[in-house]
Amino acid sequence: MAENSGTDPTVDSNVVENAASDGTMIVVTVKTPKDKEEIAISEDSSVAQFKEEISKRFNAKQDQLVLIFAGKILKDGDTLNQHGIKDGLTVHLVIKTAPKTTVGGTSQSSASSSGTPQANSSINPSAVPNASTTPGTGPTPASTQPPNLLSGFGDLSSLSGMGMGSANFMEMQQQMQRQLMSNPEMLSQIMDNPLVQNMMSNPDLMRQMIVTNPQMQQLMERNPEISHMLNNPELMRQTMELARNPAMMQEMMRNQDRALSNLESIPGGYNALRRMYTDIQEPMFSAAREQFGNNPFSALGGNLDSGVQPSRTENREPLPNPWGPPGTSPSESRGTGASTTTTSSAGGTAPSASNPLGINASGLGNGVFGSPGMQSLMQQISENPQLMQNMLSAPYMRSMMQSLAQNPELASQGSNPTAATNPSQQQQQLMQQMLQMFAGGGGGSLTLTPEVRFQQQLDQLSAMGFINREANLQALIATGGDINAAIERLLGSQPS
Amino acid sequence: LSKFIELVIKVPRNFRLLEELEEGQKGVGDGTVSWGLEDDEDIMLTRWTGMIIGPPRTIYENRMYSLKVECGPRYPESPPFVRFVTKINLNGVHNSNGVVDTRAVAALAKWQNSYSIRVVLQELRRLMMCKENMKLPQPPEGQVFSN
Repeated sequence: MAENSGTDPTVDSNVVENAASDGTMIVVTVKTPKDKEEIAISEDSSVAQFKEEISKRFNAKQDQLVLIFAGKILKDGDTLNQHGIKDGLTVHLVIKTAPKTTVGGTSQSSASSSGTPQANSSINPSAVPNASTTPGTGPTPASTQPPNLLSGFGDLSSLSGMGMGSANFMEMQQQMQRQLMSNPEMLSQIMDNPLVQNMMSNPDLMRQMIVTNPQMQQLMERNPEISHMLNNPELMRQTMELARNPAMMQEMMRNQDRALSNLESIPGGYNALRRMYTDIQEPMFSAAREQFGNNPFSALGGNLDSGVQPSRTENREPLPNPWGPPGTSPSESRGTGASTTTTSSAGGTAPSASNPLGINASGLGNGVFGSPGMQSLMQQISENPQLMQNMLSAPYMRSMMQSLAQNPELASQGSNPTAATNPSQQQQQLMQQMLQMFAGGGGGSLTLTPEVRFQQQLDQLSAMGFINREANLQALIATGGDINAAIERLLGSQPS
Repeated sequence: LSKFIELVIKVPRNFRLLEELEEGQKGVGDGTVSWGLEDDEDIMLTRWTGMIIGPPRTIYENRMYSLKVECGPRYPESPPFVRFVTKINLNGVHNSNGVVDTRAVAALAKWQNSYSIRVVLQELRRLMMCKENMKLPQPPEGQVFSN
């Protein structure tokens, strides 16, 4: 690949024209366990030429040098290009101080300092071809383009370099990634990262990444809706936004449950729904389980709560408590609580599509809020979406209202026996709805002020007894909307 | 919906591996181990080659050990498979094929998803410095395991 350094955004170093070589000059860091040097060399040069430069700089004989890049030993006959050595990358150097046989270099036979009789040169080259053919591809193609994914990242990492000032998009990702697995809140932080958002807004890239993931491929086989979703960049972006906020995620799931619950209350529709979701949820669970080693929780973006047991007593704490004491947030509570109350009569908790944990939403509703008055409210609300809209303040509630309005449609479909045979369609519709809702909510949250963004969390906190709204808001802002962390902050500052 | 959540969680596997790839190219670490994709076209980022530089003052000194590391679909939740290519006599490495015994290497036996290919390679290198290993007679340099 003929590259002009001017077109490569990641090149920061000066391009020094060296009359001695053609092609662009690159600066490669050569690192020994003790030392580090930057060496400018033409990107077209061979390893042998590179070693020449190195031997000057390090004061060592060329044949004492062993170069390693990305886990492979570089043979004299190779070119830097062949191994993908570009400007700014690091090559490891080992200087064989004892007169051992060198790899690919001139042949010497001698005993190593460790006393083991050294093979002579005839055997050595075998180590080299082995190392370089280990890749199994033989001569690597001249174009050592990293996989498409990486080049996508390459561009973005330069973006990040400019935008974020952090050394490396990847490093950030790694840190986040590590923490993500252990700390669900990291997910929201990750998503908050403008870089990630950058990437997320590149639907092709996201699609690529997702599609090439074998687990996704499995998922896609089982659930064709996913490929459909993937083809809809809007949807994907929405999902990403949605995934930003673990609280939102939970909310979403619960909302879906609630929507389902609504449907349940419609005679006939309930059974169809249950059946439908049983059909869907089974493959999803097994897909999730086998991919996560029987830990469906990791599938939910880390824990829904720390130390979660796959039982019905799934955390109540982090659940935004929109149906807190009726006095606190009547609008929200009425809306959401009613549906759960409705399901409470349903009894057992077959895990729903959005609820792989089998969270007993009704159980929650019961525990928190079991007033039959809510049921009537619920009915009112479903009849009059406007009413709900007026009452609701949290963005997601608005969406929920929409779902309620649309649900009666679904419900009528649901009660249709044919609906049971088209679970994927139903599922799809519902999911799309949900996603749209939350896109509306999530997208909205992106542009809202912290106070509005954290509205839901604020309500939660106040429901929990943290009445100092200012302090709550500060804590939420500081923790990026993480309720649990905010609570800890608040508790740290106030004795109550 | 939860499918998407899964999706969001799985994409990070690739992010993570890409990041490790970049680290390998940038030489993150102390320069005593190196790693990179076996095949640049490997979109799944599964097969990696590693290189360990034998630690000084051991029988492995100045030798370069080539390894193959395979990161499966569950990585980083599951540890990678590691195999020496260059012949080595080291406790925990099968004499016949160079496969690294997961139970013998702490980093693999008690794998955490925060570990990485680098961590594994560094740990293997550390093992070379252990009393029980540092003086083990080694095969002639340049030999490889037959697979």
